[in-house]
Amino acid sequence: MDKNENKKDLAKDMEIERKALEEKFEIDRLVILDCKDLKFYRDDGNFISLKYKNEDYFNVRLTRLVPFFSKTTYISVAYDNKENEFVELGVIKDMSELPKDQFEMLDQYLEYKYYMPEIKKIFSIKDNNRGFIFVDIETSSGRKTICVRDWYSNFRMLSESLLYAVDVDGNKYFCPDIEKLDKKSLQILEIFV
Amino acid sequence: MNLLLKAPEGHELSEFLFSLPFNLYGKAKKTDGTLCVTRSEIQVYIKGELKDTIAFDEFEEYACEQLIGCSMMVGRVKDRNVKCICAFTQDNFIAFAELCKILNHYLTTGVLVEESDIDEPKCPKCGLPLDSFTECPYCASKVKTFSKLFGRLKKYKWAFLAAIACTVFSELLNVVSPYINQLLIDDYVWPKNQSNWVGFAVLCASMFVIIIINTFLDWANMKASFYVSLNLGQDLRQDVFSKTLDLSMSSISKKTAGDLISRVSNDANKLQSFLTDNGKSAVVRIFSLIIVTVIMFIMNWKLALLAIVPIPLVAFIIKRAYNTIQMYYGRSWRFSNAHSKLLHDALDGIRVVKTCGTEDIEIEKYRDASFKAAKASSKAEIVWYYIWPACDFLLTIGNYFVLYFGAMMILNRIPAFGTMTLGELTRFTSYVGMLYNPLRWLLQLPRQIADVSISASKVFEILEENTDVRDSSDCVDLDIKGNIEFKDVYFGYKIYNPVLKNINIKLDKGKMYGIVGHSGAGKSTMINLILRLYDVTQGSLTIDGVDIRKISQESLRSQVGVVLQETYLFEGTVLENLTYAKPDATFEEVVQAAKIAHCHEFITKLPDGYNTRVGNKGHTLSGGERQRVAIARAILHNPKIIILDEATASLDTETERQIQEGLAELCRGRTTIAIAHRLSTLSNADQLIVLDKGRLVETGTHEELMKHKGGVYYQLVMAQRKNTKMKEANIDAREDPKPEFAGAN
Repeated sequence: MDKNENKKDLAKDMEIERKALEEKFEIDRLVILDCKDLKFYRDDGNFISLKYKNEDYFNVRLTRLVPFFSKTTYISVAYDNKENEFVELGVIKDMSELPKDQFEMLDQYLEYKYYMPEIKKIFSIKDNNRGFIFVDIETSSGRKTICVRDWYSNFRMLSESLLYAVDVDGNKYFCPDIEKLDKKSLQILEIFV
Repeated sequence: MNLLLKAPEGHELSEFLFSLPFNLYGKAKKTDGTLCVTRSEIQVYIKGELKDTIAFDEFEEYACEQLIGCSMMVGRVKDRNVKCICAFTQDNFIAFAELCKILNHYLTTGVLVEESDIDEPKCPKCGLPLDSFTECPYCASKVKTFSKLFGRLKKYKWAFLAAIACTVFSELLNVVSPYINQLLIDDYVWPKNQSNWVGFAVLCASMFVIIIINTFLDWANMKASFYVSLNLGQDLRQDVFSKTLDLSMSSISKKTAGDLISRVSNDANKLQSFLTDNGKSAVVRIFSLIIVTVIMFIMNWKLALLAIVPIPLVAFIIKRAYNTIQMYYGRSWRFSNAHSKLLHDALDGIRVVKTCGTEDIEIEKYRDASFKAAKASSKAEIVWYYIWPACDFLLTIGNYFVLYFGAMMILNRIPAFGTMTLGELTRFTSYVGMLYNPLRWLLQLPRQIADVSISASKVFEILEENTDVRDSSDCVDLDIKGNIEFKDVYFGYKIYNPVLKNINIKLDKGKMYGIVGHSGAGKSTMINLILRLYDVTQGSLTIDGVDIRKISQESLRSQVGVVLQETYLFEGTVLENLTYAKPDATFEEVVQAAKIAHCHEFITKLPDGYNTRVGNKGHTLSGGERQRVAIARAILHNPKIIILDEATASLDTETERQIQEGLAELCRGRTTIAIAHRLSTLSNADQLIVLDKGRLVETGTHEELMKHKGGVYYQLVMAQRKNTKMKEANIDAREDPKPEFAGAN
């Protein structure tokens, strides 16, 4: 009896190992998700969860793959499995293919995750000659004077037109196209970027 | 730290233990919210209205999670976020993180701490982050900083005073020269008094003597100044370097190597030249300014006023102009820096550039950066040449008034101003010239002071920083046997992010332990605690029953040997590197250690044997050779506890096999703690310690742990076998290409 049980155990172990080894040729490929299969919803904890192919994925990770250049395209959808490992379900190529309510829910969540006021106007930039600059700006969240430390790294152009700033607290700000700023703002900015 | 910042509308702060404002809620909407903690629960208010109440034990853990642009406070169960309690911009992140720490402390101990014991993270005056500063460097009194700086001159006070005395005498003589000029003009040039040659000769001789004395004074001044300057700089650099090495790892890791090098060399140099140049200049120039002004007023107060009156207005204009110039130069520096970085990047990665065939792209990028740098530099220069002559003209505009009115006085055209001789006017204009030099310097001084005060605060920050890992007054020199115990240990490099949680384990002397786990599980952190590079946040770590904080660091580290993945060899010979940990080792001991570590053979094959220079970071040796030198160094060190942190990870299997023998010899009879991703390396371990997300989840031998199929260790082993198979499969595929690829062309 004992011998039989041992044999069974051994066979079970071998099966587990075999399955583990069989996975060796799985190659991770880009999966573009079909928006028709996705059903996002807000759970009780205020996180976004997903019903996908009859499975529920709690608290999915939504990530803008190119956050500075596109807000609603190429959105990675992932979750943590039971072993707390990152598993990507796939990528939404264009969120606009989602139903309107779904689009809004994801857009709101992403706006929240990537909360980054847009710089609309620059009133002044003062350099305290000690590595900090104080930038008085009008943003999409109101007027604010932000303090930027190590401003050569934290107040810079990410492309020819995209200005990106991180203040001392870690809050982020951006201006998608500095050329669209008014002339005075541009003049003030010119000397610092 | 104050965690009682703002009460919800209609409530008083006194109703709560903690109350923090947050500004994001629900669907990314800006809001005016407050998170309050009472003795029994957490309350969430939005615009004064209670929206949610949470019992402390509703979650197993509270945490602050940083998103991309904001953060949120979450409740967790089994390490998973279950609820977003509130969200906020990053301004209050540290306050919320501290609150989570207090709540978690309550969940583990049942004690609700009513006050946070950490320091305020921001300066209450200017709001700038304090980082590791005890006093805000930007609000700190400049007088205090500079008095500390000048205090360092005390050691060289006689030489410094001699330099000042020489300069003062030299300035006084300079004041006399215009007077002699006046006498020459008025008595001998203007009236053409050619009969009194003696008087003329005396005046000429006096001028000659003044030149000789001035030359001597300059020489003495230079000698004394250099003496002070070089010694002071050396003292500063030495002190900063010594203190840097004395600091704890947590202090050091907040600064980059470049930053520390800059403080030791650049900042110290800046202070050195400021003290010796400006320290002396300040005394002399202010002295000279006063003397010259007094003489001018005595000679003719009306003309003196004409020379001085425009100065305040001009100083204001010049200050603004300097700021503009400074900005343009700053911009030019930035572009030039970007251009250098690009050059460095392209040349460093030249292999990648060539293999990708992107030479043209790189050339284009370089052309663009070079053009921008040149343009910015040219603009800065143009601005400088526009502004500077205008500023200088404005500054010296009083001189033109003096010349005009002085000439009128000579011609007696303005009776109200009185009369003047040509000699007097020449003397007066000389003094006006002497007045403007110190003024120019004074106008530049605030900028220099601002610049130097930053360097000074950076240097004093290091010199005055109290290291947080220090020997206590009652620490002991312990003869370590090798028993180590972690009791309820919690540790985080940042207080709000614990890396190790509730670690309890006993390590017995003479045994080998392997620490395994995923990346970021806390393996190296455990080792850092044993080395006491950091102190535990909570709980205790003992060696032979003595708290590690009570063992002197010198005694501890002299008995712990470490072999790391990347062995750092210092510039020098093989012998110097081997004896680094034990400088008094005899040569026989060195060779013996080298033989045990299997490095004697390759050393003897080196051109200069043990005297072969290993080059910067030991680049002349292979990875395996460097590792063997490290093992020999550890053997020579003769430690009681050995730490192997991925000691063989960067080596191929063959070299690893050769080194294992040396390691086995090194570890014999000593408590050994090893970390290795290659789990086969740890197969000899008496016990394996498995970490997962900072928690100790399993312990046991390899065989014991493999029996637990769902365990972390089992999964790790399986994952590694899978990887090995994949690598083998890849190698097979490369060696035996499939027909469809072979025939693709």
